[in-house]
Parts: sequence; C-alpha cells; structure tokens
Amino acid sequence: MITFSIDGREVQSPENLMLVDAAKYGDVEIPVFCYEPKLGNPVGACRMCLVEIEGIPKLQTGCSTPVKDGMVVHTQNTRVHEAQEAVVEFLLINHPLDCPVCDKGGECPLQDISFGWGGGRSRFIEPKRHFQKPLELSPLIAIDRERCILCYRCVRYSQEVAEDYQLVLQERGAASYVATFDGHPYVAPFSGNIIELCPVGALTSRPYRFRARPWDIEGSGSVCTMCPGQCNVTFTVRDDRVLRVLQRDNAEVDDGWLCDRGRFAYQAIHVDERVTSPMVRGQDGQLVPVSWDRALSEAAAGLTAAGSAVGALAGSGTTNEEGFLVQRIVREALGSRDLDSQRAPVSRDALLAISDPALQATVPDLEFAHAVLVLDTEPVDDMAILDLRIRKGVRRNHVKLAIASARPSSLDANAAASVRFAPGAGPAFAAELVSAAKGEPSSDDARSIVALLREAGEDVVILASERVGVALAALADALGLRDRAGAGLLVVPSSANGRGLREVGFLPDAGPGLSPVAEPGRHAGQIAEAAATGDITALWLLGIDPLRDLPYRLRWEQALSRAATVIAHTNFLTEGIRDHATVVFPAEAYAEKDGTLTHPDGRLQRVRPAIGHSGAGRYGWQVLTDLGTRVGLHVPRVLTSGIALAQLAQAVPFYAGITQDEIGGRGIRWQERPAASAFPAPAPASVNVSPAPRVGPSAPASGLRLGTFRSIWASPEVEHSPALAFLRPRQKIEMAPSDADRLGLGDGQRVLVSNNGTQVSATVALRQAIPAGSVFLQDGLAEDSANVLTGSIVEVRRA
Amino acid sequence: MTPPYDPGDVVEVLRAPEPGGAGGAYRAFGETLRGLKTTMKRMTEKPVTVQYPEEKYPVYPRFRGRHKLHRFEDTGLEKCVGCSLCAAACPADCIRVVAAENQPEHRVSAGERYAAVYEINLSRCIFCGYCEVACPFDAITMGHDYELSDYDRSDLIFTKEMLLAEPLERTPLRREGE
Repeated sequence: MITFSIDGREVQSPENLMLVDAAKYGDVEIPVFCYEPKLGNPVGACRMCLVEIEGIPKLQTGCSTPVKDGMVVHTQNTRVHEAQEAVVEFLLINHPLDCPVCDKGGECPLQDISFGWGGGRSRFIEPKRHFQKPLELSPLIAIDRERCILCYRCVRYSQEVAEDYQLVLQERGAASYVATFDGHPYVAPFSGNIIELCPVGALTSRPYRFRARPWDIEGSGSVCTMCPGQCNVTFTVRDDRVLRVLQRDNAEVDDGWLCDRGRFAYQAIHVDERVTSPMVRGQDGQLVPVSWDRALSEAAAGLTAAGSAVGALAGSGTTNEEGFLVQRIVREALGSRDLDSQRAPVSRDALLAISDPALQATVPDLEFAHAVLVLDTEPVDDMAILDLRIRKGVRRNHVKLAIASARPSSLDANAAASVRFAPGAGPAFAAELVSAAKGEPSSDDARSIVALLREAGEDVVILASERVGVALAALADALGLRDRAGAGLLVVPSSANGRGLREVGFLPDAGPGLSPVAEPGRHAGQIAEAAATGDITALWLLGIDPLRDLPYRLRWEQALSRAATVIAHTNFLTEGIRDHATVVFPAEAYAEKDGTLTHPDGRLQRVRPAIGHSGAGRYGWQVLTDLGTRVGLHVPRVLTSGIALAQLAQAVPFYAGITQDEIGGRGIRWQERPAASAFPAPAPASVNVSPAPRVGPSAPASGLRLGTFRSIWASPEVEHSPALAFLRPRQKIEMAPSDADRLGLGDGQRVLVSNNGTQVSATVALRQAIPAGSVFLQDGLAEDSANVLTGSIVEVRRA
Repeated sequence: MTPPYDPGDVVEVLRAPEPGGAGGAYRAFGETLRGLKTTMKRMTEKPVTVQYPEEKYPVYPRFRGRHKLHRFEDTGLEKCVGCSLCAAACPADCIRVVAAENQPEHRVSAGERYAAVYEINLSRCIFCGYCEVACPFDAITMGHDYELSDYDRSDLIFTKEMLLAEPLERTPLRREGE
C-alpha cells in the first residue's frame, strides 16, 4: 500500500494501480470510456480520464498512469474541468444525439458522462459525419457508426480477448469506422460481448432492438444452464418475458463474458413450439394436451406397472434437486437400479478419483497456472466460456498451453504444443501421459507434452473431458498436483449439470454423495439394450432425447418403440419424444427454474426463477414430488426447492448443511466448506492405470476413422431461437485435403458417410489441420446426426 | 348535573325583540324588500349556470385535458418514436409504450423506431403534463378534452389510435378576457 493525495485527501491504495482505480479508494470518480480492465492493457484512446498530477506539466490520462507513493493528483480544478468539458464536446462532435431512438438511451455511459462532466454546449456547426445506418454487423448485432466514439473497445475485444481478429478500425482520422476486416458479417462464438462493451449505442443487439427501455425492465440474476460453463447471467424481464441476457460478472466462473448461445438462446423461452402443458399419447397415437392430474396418474401408472423395469436418464439443465428426487423415486419407490446421467460410462471408482477435492482446480486457476493441458476436449464446444479464459491466461500471464485432442482445436494457435491422437483414444493417450510422467517408456508425443508441462512450472491445470476417466487422477498425481493450490483437474462433464447429477447419485453404480450401491445398475447404453430386448419397459427422460443426445441411435429407436411407457420432461418435442413419448411433462425454461447446479469445479450455484411459468408449467421439483407421492415414495413432502435442497444436503455428506442462503448469488465451492472432508476417499488401487496400446492418428487400413463432436450450436434452443436460426448446424464432414483428394472429393460436396449398413449424408468441409485418416462428424443434430453411425471406421462416397 | 365549565355568577341571556310594533313590521317587510332589491337588480341578467351536457364549459388554452398524439402535417408520419421518456416521466405510471422498428415498406414514424403500442390509462392519469414536458419530439400534448367518464374502467385505457384521432366534439376555448 502506498499513500497518495487526490483532491487534497490522503488516500491509501496498492501501488501501480491505475489512477482511475486508485481514485476509487478515495471515493473519487474519474470518468472513462475506453478503460476496461477486462480488455487488458489500457490504451488511453478516449482522453476522458485526464487528471492533473503535480510535477508533470501536461494533464495525464488516469487510466494509464500507475499510482506512485506521494503522487499529488487533482481532478477538481478548473484546468481538469475544462479539459473534461472539451473532451466531451469533442466526442459529441460527430455523435448524432439521437438518444430518443437509441437503444442505449437510459443506460448509456456517454449520456451519463455528458451530463455529469460535459459543458452542455457545442460550438460545432459544421455538418456531422454520416454513415449508412442502421447496418447489420452480423445477424445478431446492429452497428450505427455515427454514434461511435472510436474508443476501440470492440476492436480490442475481438483482437485481444476473443482473438477472432475480425473487427478492425478501417480508414484513418475522422473517417475511421469499425468494421470487419473483410466486410463479412462478424460471426464468432463470443461476438455478443461487444454489445455490452460498447459505451455508446453504436453496437446494439438486434434481437433486443427497441424491445424495452431501462425503466421498463427488471433485472433478475440467475445461471445459464445450457452448458457445463454455467455462466452467471442477468435476465432482463419485461411483462414476464425474458427480453435479453446480460453477463453477471463472476470472476470465479465466467469472468464477465458470455457466449452467443448463452446470450441469445433465451429466445427459445417464448416460442410457440415450446411444450407448456402436460401431454399424453391418445388413442390415435397423437400427443394431446391433458390436465396435470391425468398426466401424473398416467405416468404413475406406467412407472408402477414397470416397477423395477424402469430406466431413467437425465441431462441438460436438470437441477440437483430434480436429479435427487428422481433417483430417489427410481431407487426407493420403484426398486430399480437403472439410472444414468452420463453419455459414456465412467465408473464410480474413476469418478471418486477424479472428483477428489485434493485434485480439483478452479476456473481462475486456468488463468494463473504455469501450464494448462487441454485433454480430449474442445473448450469452445464443450464449455464455451473456458475458451476465453485459456486465451487470457496465455496472452496475459504467459501460461504454457498444451493440447492433446483428436480433432484440431481452435486453441491450437495459442498452444505451445498440440498433439493429435485417433478419435476415441483419449483415455489411451492419458495413460501414455501417465507413463511418460512416471518416466516409463512412452510415445514421443506424450513425452514432449509432459516435458513441456514440467518445464513450465509446478502449477499445472488439466482440463479434460470426463470420458478420459481414471487416468486423469493418475496423471495429476504423477505430475505432483495433489493438494497443490492453483493446480489440479478440471473435468468437463457431458451435460450442463453433469457433476451435480453424479454427486446427487444419478448414476447406475453410485448413490447420493457417490456412495457405493449394493448392486450396480445398467448405464445408459445397457438401458438401451435392455429396453430393446424388453427387460426395461418404462423409460424416464429428464431433459434428454436419446435419439439426439446419446450414441447408438438405432438401438435407442428400438428401445423407445419397444418401451411401454416413455415419460419425458422436455421443452421441445424433439424427434424421439414426439414419436415415442407416452407422457410428456413441460420442463421449465432455465429462466423459470428454481434449484441448484454444480459447476464442474464443484461450485454450487443457484438457478433462480426470473419469470412465471409459461402455460400450465410447474416447478420441476413440484412435479416430481407429486409423481413420487403417486408411486408411493414415503418421504417428507417437498414444498419448496429449499426443502428439496435440504433433503439433498442431508443425503450427500459433502454437501452437508448447505443452504440457498449460503450459496447466494456467487455460488460456493463445496471443496472449500468443512463438509468436504466427508468426501469418500477413492480406493488406492483404482488409480493404477495400465498402459493402453498405442493409438495414433495414423490412417486405418481401410476406410476412415470417425470422430464425433457436438458443436456449441447443436441444441434445440438454438434451433428454436429466431435470432440464432442462421447458426443452426448442418451435418458436415471435416476431412483432411489429402483424404479428399484420394477419394476424389472437393470442399462443399455432398457425400454419404456409411458403416455397418448405417449412413448419414454430409457436406465435405476440408480442414488442413485434420490428421489424414480421420474424419469428424457432428453429434446432437436434428437430422443426419453422427449417432446414427455405429462403428469407428466409416466409408465416405459421393452422394 | 354540573356544567363542564364554570358559568360564573351572572348568566346574561340575549333575546331578540318581541315581534309586534314598528320593529316587527320593519323586520317583516323592510328586510324582504331589501332582498328583493338584489333579485330585481339581477333579474335582467343572463343565468350563470352552464347547461352542461348541452353546453360545454370553455377552458383556458393551457388547460391540461386528455392527451393527444400528433402526426407531421406534411408526411402524415407519427411524431412519436416510441422512446418511452413519457413513461419514465409519468408519476402515476399510466403510460405503456412498446416500440418496434420501422420497415422501409411499413413506415410509421420519422425515426428508426415507432410506438407499436402506446397506451395511456386515463383512469390513473393525474393530468400533470409531465409527459408533454418530457417528449423530445412534441409528439404528445395535453389536449382540451375533459369529458372522460365512461361505464367501464377498461374503456379508459386509450390506445394510440384513439390518441391520434381528433376528439369528436371539440371543447370550446375561453375567449380573450372571458
């Protein structure tokens, strides 16, 4: 801490803080436009923050002058006032002052600063500069260049935060304007953030365009449930409708950014296609809306009839409370053991090993570690917000980034090393890494990665997909990450609340709190088999459509058509539910939900209702409690989500005593609570990893190796959001140019991808970075999804 | 029973003079004639009572009556751009504005946006005129119409079309010196 003087007051602040921030320690506000610490180093472009510092003849920019001991700063004398008024007058020279039609009006820093620091007059009588307006910068963002004050924030964001390098400032001097380099629309996974960054109304949201004014709306804080990132958001609500999603800065989770899916897919809340009343399949085979009573009794009858032959699956935004109640109904009332919340089975032992509190890294650790290893996951698709966090760490803190994945990653350009392995060989490669870390013989790729991590420093964060499994724990141990603060594992689950669902016991081989069960049940793949053969007669789907979200589509089709009862809690009638569900309950949109989620780093967060339920919708925990009572679950009734959380906290030892108040608005990591010591210790034997046979990306003898990935845009919410419809993914096959040449295929050609008698059609997309011999198809699509194919080797031929 | 206050020792009772005699005759006729004098004097004057439903009470030019929305006289476009500032200024919270974007083929107002919904709940309005003050485009003004009673509260929610239309019967304005 140093002492400096501002406006005649002695103020203590940390040294080298920028004056703008240091002034806040003395309750002095210095106005700024271009200064935004989230964007990196200050640029001093707008000159709004001029202050007088004794000993320096000219006025200095407060945003880029570090505070030093004994500095004497003035912000309230005539010289500074005149400078501020002059800057405001300058900034307003070309500003059209069309506040009444501008969407920013009422929440506009330019309005506030002109009012607070401006002179209230202009001497400029010449014509202002004119641009064509309003223009679409992209289908999601409108740009009004007349309003732009050239603060560079959006350009800096594109260049230094999102690193998509699309936005630039064209021309020079007074003719400068913001545009994309090549004139194409600015389409990027994180483009929407520039709307919130813009301090004037130059960049505005097209879906929110003219929808409401700041005094018409209310903000309601919650958490986005569309991916495991669980970014904190604020819903803008007017007339009980969500009109906009804004970031709610939580440095522990999202660092104040949102992806475009999180920002714009709220539109799917208010579309006609949403299921808003319970439905039952009628005599004619059509789903017809019915009363809650009827739907609940039909569902209860179906479940009771099936008894222990019930299979339950949960996914997407199912809250901890809902997952807990369902596993309780399935286990205690129906006597079934078959329930799963994972896309690929990971055993209880493996989960215990990788969830060990001593091995957990947090999200900010990605930014401050010495090295980050991204293993078998693509952050931008699987947990989008981490993509920006990793880029930030590499750019600002010189984190050494290593990537090991099957599909080329968008982070490759930032990585110090990136290696490829064959699709599906993630666990095998992790085992190689373990051998390399232990100094045992291993492949060159694995040795180089381990050498890189070791060289960078002790703090290594491993960001890996859940399917890599137990080898992760062994790798973390071999790298000496146990009990090290700022290092460890960050495991990306397969669904948005994957970690919460497994910790509340929505697993075939573990009960609440990952407690052991007497006899393990079937995992998702086995449930499909059992349903197809008739061993399971009722399927219960929470926020999941197996035809879209799970592998082996054909087997699931058999399973769903064979099952006598298919109960689905869903927002949209996706194919599997539309064709096969016998009872459909309206699931809540995430702005209607009340419950808790668990972030992949163990942070419990609250999802809070921002709007009332659409149509006849009800709270998920309420529906499940009613259903539980009807199938004979004898537990204290759940009357609020808080009661559900209390029951859950009782059942999960390491959540013990957690309440909604304690979780609060920022969430709390359970590893940081005293109850974390109740985490069941993993069996030491389970950490042993046998080295797997080497699986490189080399081409197979015949055909091509198939890898699948789920794009960030592959979700029903994106399909049903009018603003995002242009991003709706279509099936494309990514392949190396050499493979395409060999097969005589060109970019953009339609092809059929087939194996074992199954086929999907796709468009060829050539990517130089794809290893020869591998091709990649998308999962989670409405049609031509990769889960139709059943094997790992495919044939590609012209359609 | 004791009185609530002490009446003192002497209680003075004032009485009117007894009727009869000259005093009585004066009271009976003199005062009546004096009253009739006023009546006779005003007899030729017109009555001040306004026969209200048949006859409208004239208002001052700055009278704050029912609101009016305006159009540009030359283009016929609405002056209101749906900025909601009137709604922000309204102390009774009786204005609701939902804006929308002008399309080239469907142009409603002069700016980029227009008011798709503009409603004033006149049963809540306190006729303070702040909306008129707040409006940056002089699109809303307080009119002179004060005949606002109705049989149903919901009929008092005036929509944009009602506010844009001229009132059916115009309220007379007060003349100079009236």
